[in-house]
Parts: sequence; structure tokens; C-alpha cells
Amino acid sequence: MYGGDEVSAIVIDLGSHTCKAGYAGEDAPKAVFPSVVGSIDQMEVDDAVKSERDSGTAPDSKNIVKTFDSDKTKTKRKLYVGSQALGYRRDHMEVLSPLKDGVVVDWDIVDNIWDHAFRERLLIDPKEHPMLLAEPSSNSPQQRERTAELMFEKYKVPALFLAKNAVLTSFASGRATALVVDSGGGSTTVAPVHDGYVLQKAVATSPIGGEFLTECMMKSLESKGITIKPRFSFKRKEIRQGEFQIVDLDFPNTTESYKLYSQRVIVSDIKECVCRAPDALYDETAYANVPMTSYELPDGQTLEIGADRFKIPDVLFNPSLIQIIPGMESFSESNPTIRGLPQMVIESINKCDVDIRRELFSSILLAGGTASMQQLKERLEKDLLEESPQAARVKVLASGNTTERRFSVWIGGSILASLGSFQQMWFSKAEYEEHGVSYIQRKCP
Amino acid sequence: MGEAVVVDAGSMLLKAGLAVPDQAPSMIIPTQMKRTLADETLTDSSLFEDITVDPVVRGFIRDWDAIEDLLHHILYTGLGWEIGNEGQILFTDPLSTPKAVREQLVQMMFETFNVSGFYASEQAVLSLYAVGRISGCTVDIGHGKIDIAPVYEGAVQHIASKRFEIGGIDLTNLMAQELHKSNPMVNISISDVERLKEQYACCAEDQAAYGETEKSCQEEQHTLPDGQVITIKRERYTVGEALFQPSILGLEEHGIVEQLVRSISSVSSENHRQLLENTVLCGGTASMIGFEERFQKESNLCSSAIRPSLVKPPEYMPENLTKNSAWMGGAILAKVVFPQNQHVTKADYDETGPSIVHRKCF
Repeated sequence: MYGGDEVSAIVIDLGSHTCKAGYAGEDAPKAVFPSVVGSIDQMEVDDAVKSERDSGTAPDSKNIVKTFDSDKTKTKRKLYVGSQALGYRRDHMEVLSPLKDGVVVDWDIVDNIWDHAFRERLLIDPKEHPMLLAEPSSNSPQQRERTAELMFEKYKVPALFLAKNAVLTSFASGRATALVVDSGGGSTTVAPVHDGYVLQKAVATSPIGGEFLTECMMKSLESKGITIKPRFSFKRKEIRQGEFQIVDLDFPNTTESYKLYSQRVIVSDIKECVCRAPDALYDETAYANVPMTSYELPDGQTLEIGADRFKIPDVLFNPSLIQIIPGMESFSESNPTIRGLPQMVIESINKCDVDIRRELFSSILLAGGTASMQQLKERLEKDLLEESPQAARVKVLASGNTTERRFSVWIGGSILASLGSFQQMWFSKAEYEEHGVSYIQRKCP
Repeated sequence: MGEAVVVDAGSMLLKAGLAVPDQAPSMIIPTQMKRTLADETLTDSSLFEDITVDPVVRGFIRDWDAIEDLLHHILYTGLGWEIGNEGQILFTDPLSTPKAVREQLVQMMFETFNVSGFYASEQAVLSLYAVGRISGCTVDIGHGKIDIAPVYEGAVQHIASKRFEIGGIDLTNLMAQELHKSNPMVNISISDVERLKEQYACCAEDQAAYGETEKSCQEEQHTLPDGQVITIKRERYTVGEALFQPSILGLEEHGIVEQLVRSISSVSSENHRQLLENTVLCGGTASMIGFEERFQKESNLCSSAIRPSLVKPPEYMPENLTKNSAWMGGAILAKVVFPQNQHVTKADYDETGPSIVHRKCF
């Protein structure tokens, strides 16, 4: 129906931390930007809109959030999408995420994110390109229908396909059956894929992801008395020739969420630079004398990080460690059932049919931003060898290139959308108009 | 066979010439054209008030008929190609060029102009080749857009690159506004303001010095072609300052050095030093008086541990490297690509169609 060469499909992967978008057939997404947006509320009294509402027709503007109180004011908010827009500090700008626990709660923000990706980053007209969207492995039917509706009604795309993250990762590695460990920004998901289909009953998720580790790192640094200065809060002044001094700037109208966001960006970079997965279970005494690594912050301060380099990543394997990180104790009380990564893998495989367990053990794929941590693959392999049944041959696969691991879901989508045999599987606009939105459940398994 | 032709189509000037390295492009002509209704032929900018056509808008080719006529003039009249014996051509693309634009360009080249070979490359990579590097950052401040692109080993890091839709044209408009405020009696056209900007615009030494110009600064008297006399005072500094303080243009953005530093921070940190210490400024607007010095000064004040530092162009390169670096890089690349048959040939195009450009040209 759609030749791979003439019309290029667009692949979008909206994750909890970053959104990746680009053309199918390429080896990396062109547009990668945070999936949080800045939002400034603007209160407005609008008589014209009020009379429209009274007459029963809904206003067309997508930015209006109705407040049903007696003085009939409308709250409009202006959204700022993309790392450029978020990087600029504005008064009263809050940082909002469209996802909560991996599920989309604010479709307006998702709409704005897609719009930014199409019109400002990729510079394309969505009407002319089929869209392949990556969705979480445990996505509810309502979410899928809502996505399809938004894409067809607002963007008028010619064709759409929703593919599960785990399936796309296994495509990226060329396998039809694999156990995908996707450790991304917001959560870690372990999902077995068999012959291109996700086995839903064996999917396991855990809220420990990259952002959680960043949070742990931040609390740990705070407890040591180090303050991370966000980029907007200081500037350098030249006091004498060649000598510089940091001057603090004060912006009283900056929201707390924005300040936290800016700090997280810096701490996240620290985490990516210095953290390594330890070779064995983290032990306070063993790592007490480990040599420190230094990291230079944007304002010139140098940090020395020692045991934290190994303690923070070990949270993935041993969640009970959270308790010894100062400031994070409350977390483990509210979530007592979190298991470590090796346990999740074993649990997930045990929920599958006995026949495929062997194959799953020998093809465990690592994907996601957090999975590109150094030594993670070796540690996971070692832990699994200890806990798995004797007969199983455990093999953890991860592409050597860290960019590939970060974008493996997107890359799988790029491969899928450029296959000749895939072209007949698109859910086209004609089919949408004929059968309605619920047809998507049948077309995109 | 002859030399290949290198064409760099910018929003204001089109640079074209035969690929002879270490030399400036032989043809630098404005891309703006006027459509005369008399006999439906387009000529280069005249002084009549006809319909002005801008074939290249914000870096991208938009008006294909106009660009076809312009290229016709350049290739056959300017550079001496003969119909039936066309040579090879290399084009430069700005950042984030949509796939469709590239495909249409290659289609036009092969079907309308019948070239024997085609290659397209990104301007950022070419500007680095012109200064003899394969890794570094380019800050390309052109007429229609600003591109900040880190390049590592010849490949643009798209994830970290930024494109801004502001450029020389917005600075010209700003200058026109300011001049009108201070000289309400004088009537000047945009093209005259453009020339005034090129002649007088400069950057203050730093932010404090810019503040000083409010109280006192040098006054210049300029006589326009039609006899009117205009006084230029602070406006010349305002134009240069706008790049470092975009709030002057009404934009909520950081200055250019801060933008560079932030875009680099999304690249993995082991490469930061190599990228920032090899920063290249290119584009017409970057050749403003005092811009480089101000850039260096601002880079000492930016919010990053590693400070950007500019690359010195090699001595064997001609004077106007900043303005024509993409073209010169293209000339260097053309000498490599075409003899080694890495370009798109007519046979390739006939077999696969326009999408071959994405596979053969990065």
C-alpha cells in the first residue's frame, strides 16, 4: 500500500524521560528531546467563550482547560516543549509530565509534544507520512484508541501502527523470541516476546528507572552538603584580567519544579559519567576506601564521588539499599514489593510456558537509557547465572554502542517501518473511517 | 572531465564556483530575484518595484521554479557549462533539511539539468573541513537561520544540534526599526538598511560596554544614494548585541554562546573538550566587526566548565573564510568524492529514483 521508498514513515517513541522521533530507515532518531514540558498558567475571563459554552458547542482551542466555578474564568496555559524552550528560565513556569506511572494522563501535553516533533524538529507535514508509534508493553485498549483518535483526527495521518516497545527491541536485534529488559527513565519493564508477540501475563514492571536513580544521587549529594546550582542561578563575572568569580542570581518567581528539573539535568549527567554497576552486591565496608572520581560542575565546583558510584546503580539489583540512602527511606515503606532486576527476570520467565523458557534465558536483551550503564550487562549475567536453574544457559545481549542501547526501541521501529512485508499491515485512514477506532485492537496486536 | 561545481545556496547570497581548493567562489550573487511580467523571464535583483521572489527561505529552497532559473543562469552563463555536456555538482544543505527537499533537488538536477554526478553534504561538516578539522562545533550565523551543530569525526550529532529561525534578516529589520525611531524624517528601503548594517554594525566589547553606549557613543553621518543624510548612533551596537541578548529581538532565548554550551551538554562528556575547543564561526553575520572578540569574551563567562575556543583558519585559506566556509569545504570535499565515485551517478538515479540521495550522501 505504501512503498517504502517514496513515502518515508515517521517513527516516534514517547518515553517517560525523552521523546525520540525520526524517519524510518535511518539508524538514529533525528529529534531527541525531553518529554516534559514547561507550562505557564494564564488566567483569562472570556465572555465570548462563556456564551459559546452556554449554547452547547465546545470551544475549539486546544489550550483551554475549563474550570467549572461560578466566576466563569478560563485557565489557558502556554506550553513550552523541547530542550531549547525548557532551557530558558521563565517566571512561574512549571514542569509537567504527560505520563503518570507510565500511563498517559494529559493528552494535551502529548499533542503538543508531537506537534513540536513534527513542525519544529523534523519539519514535516504529518498528513504525508505514515506514523509508527511505540507503546508500552502493557498499554490499555482505551489508551490505544485515544492515541489513534488523536493521530487521525488532529494530524490526519494517512496510516498508523502501534507497536509494543518490547517487540521493537527484539526486532532491532534480529530476534523473534527474546526476553526484553527495558530500563528507561521512568521505570524498568521486563517483557518476554515470543514470535513477535508480547506474553502479557508475564510482563513485570518496577518503578526504579533512570529518574529514580537520579533522585537517589541527588539526595545523597545533598546529605553530604553539596548544593547543585542550576545553570540559571549563577553567572560568571570577570573581576580582574583572567580571573573569574561566580555571582549568584536570584529569581524569586522561579517555580520549585523548574529548579528541581534544572538540578536533575545536571545530576543526571553526573550519574551518566561516573556511575558503574558493581561486580557484586554492594557492601558498605568493601567500598569505603574506593578511589574517588572527580566531576566538574557547570559553575566550576569539583565534586569527588566515591562509594556512591557503585551504591546508586546497585539499587537496581538490590532495592533494599534504598533505605541506606539518606532522604529516601520513605520510599521503601510505601513500596515494599519492589524486586531487584534479577528477581524480576526469573519471575517473568517462570510465568511463561516451560517450552520457551530455555530460549528466553539464552536471549535476554538490554535496552533503554539506564541499561547503557557500564558493567550492567556483566553484573546481570553473573546474578542470573547464580539464580537460574542449572540446565539453563544464560546469555545477556546488549549492543556495544551505548547510543544503540538508548534508542533500541526507536531503531526497531525504524527497521520495522522500512520492511517491504510490513507495508500491508498499516492501519490506514480509510480503514479507520470505515470500521472505527476500535478496529485498531485487531490490526495492531 | 573538468572540475566539479560547488553550489552553496544561502538565503541571501548564492555562492557558486568550480571546485578549486584554497580559492574563493567565483560567483557570489544574491539569491533574491525579481519577477518581471513583461516576458516572464527572471533576472537578478533589479531596482524596479516588481514582485520580489526569495527562492531560499530560512536556508531551505522553497521556490523551485525560481531556483531553477537562477541555477540555469549560474551554470550555463556564469560557469560555462554547455547543454549536453553538464558536469558534476555538489550542493550544501543546512541542518534539519527535510528529506523531501533533498529529493526534489536531486530530481531537478538529474531531470532538468542532466548533470552527470551529484552529491549533497551538510554545511556544518563542510565548514569544519575548510579549517582542516573533522570534529568540532560550527556556529553558522546566516541570513535566514542560525545553526549550531557539533560534528564528531565527520558526522553531525543531530541529537545535540540546534537550529534557530533568526538570522541576518531579523537583524536588518531590527536596524530598520531603530533607525526609523531615531530618524523619523528619513525614508529608507530595506536593501539600503542591509547595506548600512553591513557597513556599520558592530559588537560592543561586553555587556557593560553596551550599556555605556546608551549614554554616549560615536555618531556617524551617512549619505544615502538618493541624497538623504542619516545619523547612526547606538543602532549599530544594538544589532550586534541582539545575538548575545536575544531579548532585544523580543525572543525568550539565551545568547549564542550559552546556546552553544547547552547544546554540547547533550553529547557524551568525553567528547566535550574536543568539540568546544574546536569551535568554528561561519556565515555572513558572524563576520560582523567585533563579533569574534565578543564571542571569546562571552565564552569565558558561560555556564560551563570547559570554555569554547575558536579555531584559527589555516594561512593558506583566503581572507573571507567566515563568509564562504561551507563553499570552501565543499570544494575540498568535491576533490575527494567525485574522483572516488562516491557520488550519485545518472545510472544510480535512473535505477533507484530520488531517494538514492539519502543512501549515498550523508
